Amino acid sequence: MTVTHPAGVEEVVLGGGRSPAPPGRPPATGVVARLTRPLPALLLVGLLAAGWQLMAHTSGSALIPGLGAVARNLADITTSGALAENVRVTLTRVVLGFAAAFVVSVAAGIAMGRSEWLRRFLEPAVLIGLATPGLVKALLCVIWFGVSLLNPVLTVALAAAPALTINVAQGVRSVDPALSEMAHVYRFDALTRLRYVWLPAIVPDLFTGARLGIAMAWKVIVLVEIFGLADGVGYQLNLEFSQHNVAGVLAWTVAFALVMAAIEYGLLQTLERRAVRWRRVALR
Amino acid sequence: MSVRISLDGVDKAFTSRRTGERQQIFRDFSLTLAPDELVAVVGGSGTGKTTLMHLIAGLERPDAGTVSTGGGRPRLGMVFQQPRLLDWTSVETNVRLAATAAGVDPAEVAPILDAVGLTDYARSYPSVLSGGQRQRVAVARAFVVRPEVLLLDEPFSALDELTARRLRLLLQQLWLRTPRTGLLVTHNALEAAFLADRVVVLGGRPAEVVGEYRIDRPRPRSPEDPDLFDVHRRIVAALT
Repeated sequence: MTVTHPAGVEEVVLGGGRSPAPPGRPPATGVVARLTRPLPALLLVGLLAAGWQLMAHTSGSALIPGLGAVARNLADITTSGALAENVRVTLTRVVLGFAAAFVVSVAAGIAMGRSEWLRRFLEPAVLIGLATPGLVKALLCVIWFGVSLLNPVLTVALAAAPALTINVAQGVRSVDPALSEMAHVYRFDALTRLRYVWLPAIVPDLFTGARLGIAMAWKVIVLVEIFGLADGVGYQLNLEFSQHNVAGVLAWTVAFALVMAAIEYGLLQTLERRAVRWRRVALR
Repeated sequence: MSVRISLDGVDKAFTSRRTGERQQIFRDFSLTLAPDELVAVVGGSGTGKTTLMHLIAGLERPDAGTVSTGGGRPRLGMVFQQPRLLDWTSVETNVRLAATAAGVDPAEVAPILDAVGLTDYARSYPSVLSGGQRQRVAVARAFVVRPEVLLLDEPFSALDELTARRLRLLLQQLWLRTPRTGLLVTHNALEAAFLADRVVVLGGRPAEVVGEYRIDRPRPRSPEDPDLFDVHRRIVAALT
C-alpha cells in the first residue's frame, strides 16, 4: 500500500511488501564439497594403518598383529552377530546415561547461569565431578549397584554431567541481557524463553559440553563393563585380553572407534550444523 | 484501551560500577502522559531518558514514588535502539512470538510485515537484513501486539539519516492507523518535534524538566515543515 501525503510530505511505502533482493537462505551444499570433506581424516587413518602394518611386519611379534589378522577378527565378530549385539547393549547404556545427564545438566546449568547463589552452591559438586577419575566412578557404581542396569547408566550420567553442566551454565551466562529484556517486555512465557532465547544462544556451548560428556561416557562405560558386567563392548575387550588375543582386542577397539566416529560425524555434527545454520547464512 | 501513564514523586539512583559512587538520576520526579498522547523526551547523555523508559516498561523499579500505567500492566510495544531480534529464527517468527505472547492472532503477522515492506523477507534470518530492515522488523513486532503503550528508545539513532527519515515516516503512518499512549526517547530534537504531540526536555542531575513544548501540527506531518524547525530551534536552545 502506498500512502500519499499532503504537499511537501515525503511518500513512504507503507505496504506492498515487495523487496527487490531475494531473502538470504542457505543454498544447498555442493556435492563435490560434501564428497571431499572426509578426505583429510581418511588420509590420516590410511597413514596410521600403513604405519601399523609396517611395524607388525618388521617386528614379527604376536603382540603386534598385522591388519589381516585384525580384519579376520573383525569379520568373525561381525558375522557371528556378537558385534551388533554388544554394540547395541553398550550404546543403550550410553544413551540412557547420557539422556539422564542431559536433563539434569540443562536444568542445573540454566539454574547456575541464572543465579549467582545457585552457581556458588552447585559449582563445588560440578568441579569435584570433573576432577574425579572415571575409574573411581566406575568402581564405586559397580560396588554399589552390581550388575543392574542402574550401574552403567549412573556411571555414564556421572561422567557426562559435569562437563555438560559447566558448559550450559557458561552458555546461559553469555545470553545477551538485551534479549532477556526484550522477552520481558513482550511477556514471553518460560517455555518460549527456553526454546527461542536461551537454548539457541547456548547451542555452541551445549555441543561442546555434549562432546566432552560423550567422550567421558565412552571411557567409563568400557570400564564398568570390564569390572562388573557380563556383556557389552568392554566385557568383550576384557574377554579377548584374558585370552591374549591382541588381534581380537584391536578388532573390538576398531569397531568401537567406528561407532564413535559414526555418532560424531553422522549425528552430532549434523545436529550442530542444523542448529547453527543461521550463523552460516549471516556470514555470507 | 487508552492508557494514562503517571510517574509521581519518583526517586531512582544507581551505584556506578566503575567508581562505586551513588548517582541520583531522579529525585521527586513527576511526569504524566495523557491517553493516546505521544510524548518525546529529549536530553543530553546521562539525563535519565532511558531510565525513565525502563521504569515505565517495568525493567527498573523506582526507589521511591509510583509509576502508574493505567491500573494494570498494559500491553507494551517497544522499539529499542538496537533491534534485539532473535537472529536464529526467521523474521516472521520474531514477530509472531510477540503476537502470540500478547494473545494476538498470528494471522495478523503477515499484514504488519506487508505494512513495513518485509513480506519477501518473512522466512529469512534477520542477520541477512540491513540495519534499516532489521529496525523495521522491530517496528512490526512493536505494532503487531496492538500495544496499549508504545515505547521508543532512540529507535533510529543507530541508522543513517536517510534510513532513519524513512522509518520516521513509516512510524508516523503506523501511528496514524491506531494512536496509543507513547514515549519516545531521543537525542534528535527534530525527530522529537516531527513525531511527538509534546516534547519534554530533561536536564541536570538529578534530572528535571527544563523545557516543555506542545506540537500542535496535524498529522501526517512533513519533515520539512518550517514550524517544526522552529520548535526544533527552541528545544536545542533549552538543551544548551
